[in-house]
Amino acid sequence: MTIELTVDDAARVRLWHRVSQFLFREARLLDEWRLVEWYDEMLTGDIRYSVPATDVRGEPAGALGLIDDDAARLRQRVEQLLNGEVWCENPRSRTNRMISNVEILTDRGSHLDVAANMVVYRFGHGRSDAYVGKCRFELVVEGESFRIRRRVVVLDHETLYEHGKLSIIL
Amino acid sequence: MTIELQRPVGDRIVIDDLERLSFRVDRRAYTDEDLAAQEMTRIFDRCWLYVGHESEVPGPGSYVARDVGGRPVVMARGSDGVVRVFANSCTHRGALICSQPSGQARSFRCPYHDWTFSNQGDLVGVPIPDGYGPGFRRADFGLAQHRSESYRGFVFATFDPEQPRTLPEYLAGATEYLDLIDDQSEVGMEVIQGAQLHGARANWKLMMENSVDIYHFRALHKRYVGYMESLGSVPPRRRGGFGCALGLGHGANELPPAAARPLAYWTPMFGAEVRPRIEATAARFVDRFGPERAERITGTNRAVLIFPNLMIIDAIAITIRKIDPVGAGQMAITSVALAPRDEDPDIRELRKSHYLTFLGPAGFATPDDIEIIESCQRGYLNRTVRYSDLSRGMNKEIPETTDELPAREFWRQWDRLMHDDDAHPDLARRAGMPGEEPR
Ligand code: FES
Ligand SMILES: [Fe+2]
Repeated sequence: MTIELTVDDAARVRLWHRVSQFLFREARLLDEWRLVEWYDEMLTGDIRYSVPATDVRGEPAGALGLIDDDAARLRQRVEQLLNGEVWCENPRSRTNRMISNVEILTDRGSHLDVAANMVVYRFGHGRSDAYVGKCRFELVVEGESFRIRRRVVVLDHETLYEHGKLSIIL
Repeated sequence: MTIELQRPVGDRIVIDDLERLSFRVDRRAYTDEDLAAQEMTRIFDRCWLYVGHESEVPGPGSYVARDVGGRPVVMARGSDGVVRVFANSCTHRGALICSQPSGQARSFRCPYHDWTFSNQGDLVGVPIPDGYGPGFRRADFGLAQHRSESYRGFVFATFDPEQPRTLPEYLAGATEYLDLIDDQSEVGMEVIQGAQLHGARANWKLMMENSVDIYHFRALHKRYVGYMESLGSVPPRRRGGFGCALGLGHGANELPPAAARPLAYWTPMFGAEVRPRIEATAARFVDRFGPERAERITGTNRAVLIFPNLMIIDAIAITIRKIDPVGAGQMAITSVALAPRDEDPDIRELRKSHYLTFLGPAGFATPDDIEIIESCQRGYLNRTVRYSDLSRGMNKEIPETTDELPAREFWRQWDRLMHDDDAHPDLARRAGMPGEEPR
């Protein structure tokens, strides 16, 4: 039996593949500490990166989170991480990001809403930690590639009691 | 380092030498599991401990469940509007009667055998009651209620029925600082939803010391200071500030703002748009409280340590930080933001944004604090260096914020409680060094 892909199916598979490759590349740049490249090439100028608090679910309006960076603060985060002033990231953590369950939730032509699961293993200063979360990306389509406009990582942990801190970019 | 300073002095943990102006703490205080167990009985089973803020249980039937001093409790506002603190343990055979961290409930039903308690603590339902004899009275099985009191919206409980002090007596000079915080709104302050729940692999007392230590600021937090300067924070309009002992282990630092305050000290880093609103608020406080007290409320930063494990830091945002020991080498940290309930929405956003810049497990400062106290804890593994030194400012009448007086006040109370000396109230009023006197 042969399976025939309709033209629509083939386009969807291609798009899914391109989105997955894009997210894998992002994970690689972050793991390799190529943060400036990541910031310059993969994000929009109005990027927002947030990590909601672990004790509230569903991002209620007005709640305080753990991270809520606009472009300027995220740029600052990147610079600080790279210039060695972040005492808790000097020497740099070794990280390994696992991205899976990539799913295109909505395709609005010029914008995509994408979900993915993520595990980030972090090793440094004698510790090893795993951050487990669900990511939501708003991607802006740019030719054959994308830029990230909204990047939300919802941690599944009840607390960061074991981790103590979150000093890397998830 | 001199050998002499490292020679053990008897078996005392805290060596408070007012003649030589030397204050040392034996590092076993941070590493010894027996001492950690003693702290639970001598300190956490006896002191008034912070439970939460009244705004977290805003209406009849609202509750929060959390651990206080290592014990699971429920803080609930009953249908009668009264806030109570209960043991979160069924009076039948012990299960948690509440396993949600927060919510709304007319009653709490224990899932084990369905005993049901009203939100005022009464046992109101027992399935199959004919299993008990005539001596069984529901009234004997209400939820255990802890002695609790509230001061300016801050709810505390004690597990010691014999605790001789009322909450205001216990808070001593710290009441003044809670006033300065609660006075920031006419309609009341509120905890913003979303707690930062994290921890550190270090002894809990290291976080208490760190939270009143301003000496480390420019060294450890270079990146934060640099960022604030890049945003347009300006140096304080006046110099100075001081650290003080508030009695019974409490202490505070008070200093001119290094950056800005949402209530109510504008600098360019907040942006021109909100300037008139922030300055109007500052003016309103002058009308209400007079220029001097208004400046103290709105134009001054403070960090207050309330013995044993509460920190309130009121600077570019207000954080309530509760620090719980977990054995000698680990702690749990719960931080929430406190803000005026009637805050302008734009200014609320600024407050939250700057809170996150500095504070919490992913801020530009707190992670370095976590890392450095974990580093101290690792350093203590080398037991050759026996003592830590906390004598900065013992040579001064009024210690500065970069001195270590609030930490000494903490340790003196720790020492009294660990040696059962707290029965003598005059020990809490130490003579000798004027600067060491509680204000
Ligand atoms: S333990 Fe709660 S009803 Fe039995
Ligand atoms: Fe700090």
